Order: sequence, then C-alpha cells, then structure tokens
Amino acid sequence: MNNFTEILKSINSFLPELSVITTLLLCLIADIIIRKKSPIVTIIAIAGLLVSAYFVYMQSAVQESLFSGMLVIDPFAVFFKYLFILSSIIILIFFEFSNEIKESTHKNEYSYLILSLVLGAFLMASSVNLLMMYLSLELASLTSYILAGYSKSEKKSSESSMKYLIYGAASSGIMLYGMSLLYGFTGSLDIYEISRYLATNPTPNAFIYLTMIMIAAGLGYKTSSVPFHFWTPDVYEGSPTPVTAFLAVTSSAAGFSLITRLFLTTFLGSTQIVDGAFSIIAGIHWQEIIIVISVASMIVGNFVAIWQKSLKRLLGYSSIAQGGYMLAGLVVADTIGLTAMLIYLSAYLFMNLGAFFVTILIVNKLGTDDIEQMKGLGYRLPFVGVAMAVFMLALSGIPATVGFIGKFYLVTALMKPGAGYLWFAIVLMLNSVVSLFFYLKVVKSMFLERADNTDELPGIKFSVQSYIILILLLIPTIFFGLYFGPIVKLAESSAVLFGIR
Amino acid sequence: MVELNYYLGLSSILFAIGVIGVLVRRNAIIIFMSIELMFNSINLSLISFSSFLGDVTGQILVFFIIAVAAAEAAIGLAIIIALFRNKGTVNIDEINILKW
Amino acid sequence: MPELTTILFYIFAFITVGFAIIVVSTKNVMYSAVSLFMSLFGIAALFLLLRADFLALTQVMVYIGGILVLLIFGIMLTTKITDAEIKTNNLSYIPAAFFTTGIFVILIFVLYTTKWNQKTPIQNEETISQIGKALLSSYVLPFEIASIVLLVALVGAIMFSRKK
Repeated sequence: MNNFTEILKSINSFLPELSVITTLLLCLIADIIIRKKSPIVTIIAIAGLLVSAYFVYMQSAVQESLFSGMLVIDPFAVFFKYLFILSSIIILIFFEFSNEIKESTHKNEYSYLILSLVLGAFLMASSVNLLMMYLSLELASLTSYILAGYSKSEKKSSESSMKYLIYGAASSGIMLYGMSLLYGFTGSLDIYEISRYLATNPTPNAFIYLTMIMIAAGLGYKTSSVPFHFWTPDVYEGSPTPVTAFLAVTSSAAGFSLITRLFLTTFLGSTQIVDGAFSIIAGIHWQEIIIVISVASMIVGNFVAIWQKSLKRLLGYSSIAQGGYMLAGLVVADTIGLTAMLIYLSAYLFMNLGAFFVTILIVNKLGTDDIEQMKGLGYRLPFVGVAMAVFMLALSGIPATVGFIGKFYLVTALMKPGAGYLWFAIVLMLNSVVSLFFYLKVVKSMFLERADNTDELPGIKFSVQSYIILILLLIPTIFFGLYFGPIVKLAESSAVLFGIR
Repeated sequence: MVELNYYLGLSSILFAIGVIGVLVRRNAIIIFMSIELMFNSINLSLISFSSFLGDVTGQILVFFIIAVAAAEAAIGLAIIIALFRNKGTVNIDEINILKW
Repeated sequence: MPELTTILFYIFAFITVGFAIIVVSTKNVMYSAVSLFMSLFGIAALFLLLRADFLALTQVMVYIGGILVLLIFGIMLTTKITDAEIKTNNLSYIPAAFFTTGIFVILIFVLYTTKWNQKTPIQNEETISQIGKALLSSYVLPFEIASIVLLVALVGAIMFSRKK
C-alpha cells in the first residue's frame, strides 16, 4: 500500500513527461485519422511541448526523488528539459520547411518520433538509476535510428541508419558490460547507493578504470566524442538535414546531461560542495578519462573538418569538436565548470540550429550540400549568406556572438587557480583558432569565390516564413552575445544536482 | 557448486567472441547476431552477479535488456530489409555510398 | 566425482561457446542462425543453473521464439537460400584479433582480481514472485516506459517495411 501511495504521489511530479506521452499518442491517433500530410499533427506536437514546458516551469525550484529513486527533479534536469523542448519545437518547424522530408514517402511520422526522443531525453536528464538510464538512452537511440532512415527511398539514408544502429547497439553493449561490473561490485543499480559503496570500500584501480571506460563508450557514442565518433560523419551526411540537426542538438544534449549526472554523482565522495567544487572519491580519477576524450574530440573534430567537402559532414566534425569543448566544463568538477557547460550548451543550441537551418534552405534549392557547389552563392542569396557567416563565426567563438560567451566561461572555469588545467584552456583556445579556418572556408566559398557564371544566375528567393525563422535564430545568436546576463543567471541557478549541496 | 568466477570467465569469452564478430564479419545480419551474443554475455554476467548477491535487481535489468534487444532487432531487421530493397545487398563492403 | 551442477555447467558452457564460435566464423548465414539458436539455448540452461527460472523462460520465449525467428525471416527475405554464402573480407582480421585479445585479457584480469560483492546466493526459492513484485512497485516506471520503447519499435518497423 505504501508503494501505491508513493507511485500516486510521483505521478503528480511526472506531469512534464506525462504530457509528452499524451501528445505522442494524440499525434499517433491524429496521423491515423488524417492519413495525409498535414500540419495539424505538427501543431498538436508543438502545443503538447508547450504544455509540458509549463509543467517544467512549475518545477523550477523543486528537488524531489520520484518512483522509488528512479528519477529526480532538480534545477539541472529542469534546465535540460527547457533545452530539449525549445530545440525540438524549432526542429519540428524545420521539418515543415525541408524538401527532403516533403519528398519522402512518410507523412507525419516524424512528429511523434521526435516526441518520443524528447521523452527519452527528459528521462535521461533526470534518471538516477542505471536501469532507468539504460532504458531512456535506448528509447532515445531507437528513435534516432528510425529518424536517420527517414527518407526510406533514399539509399544514403537507410545506409546511415543501419550504420548508426550497428554502432549504437555495439556501444550500448559495451556500456552495459561496464554497468554489470559496477552492479557486481556494489550490489546496487542506484547511483547514490553505488557512490556510497565506492566511497567506503577500497576499489581496485583496474576495475574502476575498465568500468568507467566502458560506460564512457556508451555515453560518448551519444555525445559523438572521439574515439566513439565513427558513426557521426556518415550519419550526419546520410540523414535528412532536419534529422541531422535534431541529432546534433537535442540528442547530444541529452547525452551530456546523462554523462554529467552519472560521473558527478557516482564518483562523489561527500554530498557537501566546498567552495563550489564537487568532492570526488579519493583514488577515482574519472577526470583523466574525460580529459582524454575531450582533447581527442577537439583535435580530431577540428582537424578532420578542414578537409571536408560536404557541409553536413563538416558540421558533423564541428559538433564532435564542440562536444569536446563542453566536456571541458565537466572536467573541472565544480559549479563554475558546470555552469560554463550549461551556458555553452544553450549557446550551441542557437548557433548550431541556425547553421542547420541555412543548410536546409541551401539543400532545398541546390539539391546538394557540396561546399564547392556553393561558390558565389552569397551573391545570389545575400541575406541567407550573411546569416550563415554569422552562425559560422559564432560557432568558432568570435566576440559579440553567443559562441564567444560560451567559450569565455569555459576558459575561465578551466583557469581556476590551483586546478592545473591552464594547459587545457590553452589547448581549447588553440583549437578555436583552428576551427576558424574551416568555418571561414564555408563563408569564403559563398562570398569570395565566384562560379564562372555567377553573374548570369538569378538571385534565389525564399518564402517569408523562412526569413522569419532565420531572423528568430539570428536574434538570440547576436543578442545573447552582447547581453548575456539572463543565460548566465539561468545556468548559474541550474548548476544544482539532486542531493548535493 | 560452480563459483562466480567461472560464470564471469564464460561471460567474458562470449563477449570477446561477439566483439570479434562485430569487427570482422561483413554481413549485416551476422554482425547483428554477434551483437546479440554480446548482449547475452552481459545478461549472463548480470544474472550470475545477481544470483551470488541474492538480489533480483540484476535480473530485472536483464529483463529490460531482453525487451530492448527485441525492439532493436525489430527495427534492425526492418532497416536491413529497407536497405536490401534499395541496394540489393546486405554486405557492408558493398554499402559504400558513404565512407564506412 | 564432481558435482552434477559442475558437470552440467561445463556441458552447457561448452555448447554455448562452441556454437558462438560457429556463429561468427561460418560463411553460411543460415548455419550462423542455427548456431545462435543452440548458443542461446545453452545460455538459457546456464540461467537455470543460476536459479533464474523466470529469465531462463523469457530467454527461450523472447530470444529464441522472437528475435531468432525475426533474424531467420530477415535472412530469407534478403538472400536467396541457394546462395546464402556471402563473401567475407578478412583484411581486418589481424587488428581485430589484437583488439579483441586486448579486451579479453583486460576483462579476465579485472574479473579475477576484483573482490566481488557476494552475499548469500539465491538458493532454491523461485525468483518469479520477487521479480513480479519489484516490477510493479519500485520498477513500475521502467516497466511502463518499456511499453513506449516497444511502441516506437512498432512504429519504426511498420514505417520501414510499408510499401511506398
């Protein structure tokens, strides 16, 4: 009977997720009734997400454990839920614009597939039990496999979907082996219990390193970090562009939420935060593993991107590198680092979605994402070209854009005196310089190079709606670069994990 | 009474066989079967831990792993069939529009 | 004279590993599927030796009755039975062998050097009632979310296999 009352009580705090589930089912039913391509299903999905956002807002300051320790609500999870809702609403709108989607044989399936990924992401951001983490990760992954193969008649799309599935299944297998070792050693799946056991019992080095590497393999695959990034360029290139944007932003943000909570909570020695620093169990050096992954991601992502000819592949490598920057915030293991990571994630949302929206518009008109084909394109579509230049500069971290604010806070967090991460901050800055090179390559191709017949080709016009969306993405990219107070404030108040203070 | 280590050893052998299969084979369906072998080795290790701990939590995790594996197999096979319709092969070496 | 369980363990372990090797090494996809069937049966038997009665049944029903049948359908739909033999590429054998041996050695080292948490092993009680209780009390949320996972899989499978 006690269980029953607890479940009933938990359902009251489970409303954001419940509204996503309800919307998902409504969209499914609406799709069956309507039977043809219709914006109504998308509108239902967006409305449901807004309702969910309202319930998330109601939980802003709550700290609660739900369903006998399966999930927690804390400001950290709430922040990520906002990110997921915002990005998926924008991406639902992207789907309406993309010709790749219009030409595919499926009609409205994407709206409820996106909702189920959002549900998976919600649970990933708030689960504190290895079982729940695995299940929510798989819910998100299964949906991404389907979305990657969305244009079924397109060979590239089903090919990328299959590669994604094979890599995904293999890496989640590796992660599960790590989890099983952790379970065998500690006898529990609850990460707070595990943390308590690890803190009071001597842990053999070989065991703990193997476990951490195996778990990092499964999560690094989700955040597309080196060396678990093999799928990223292929899947990014092969999937329809709105799906690529979704994977690059929402799905990887979900991965970051999970990796952060798992590492910060599981290897926590005491729940007291001293001077903003998390106290890590002595002898468990998980930061070393994250540092290796982070530095490798930055270097591989930035250097391989230089040679890319496909814009989507280039953005793929760029997001590998961006993931590397974000992990730097986790390495510091204090509230400043965590805040910096959250700031960077929200900056990344605007600038990356902007870059992908321009890609969608260009692919719609040109039918290809080859950078060579974009020569002189800046003169044919001046506004879109300038917007692309802004997003590219923001991604490389030029001042007066939101990307700079993200990098600035990350570097500040790394340069905390006594932490010994100065070299890391320098690596990060050098990498930003390298990244400028390939981001500018796109701009250069659009504005400085001219195809032989540029002058003869007519200018390209887009619908008014696409300009509106573009402006709506441009405004936060520049505005928050100049007036970043609100983002910083939100991130600072969100860097609170459940049960740690 | 067979000791825990024997079961764990067996599970790691199975895991290694699965990894070899994933790395070496080129037929998508066989890669898929190798992944199933990996999952089974995990299930075996979880159940042996659970059994020697006297705690059913591990078995519940296995229950969910089996459920997810079934869902994954359904999607995986559907993708493989869609790919076969498009390209007429399930051999990964011939699936090369994208660089592997 | 060794105990009966020990003998059974070795028999089933031998079956499982032997057929698993056939799964990854044979050139005929159909043989692979049949060997996987035997290997999964061996694992189900090992589950019984570990007193996981419920999961042994689940293993037989879901893995063998569901996933394996699905795989065999996949094989029949994608390759003609007569030329089920598919050329394999053995270029990556040597790095793969190194990699796998590395993983295996590390795993064995960790498994045998770590002092695992062992309490009183499950004896002859049945686990099914304990699992049932846990699934509907502490683990009720994952139990419900699993239904969404299956729904997504259903939608995905229909989406991919539906005619254009």
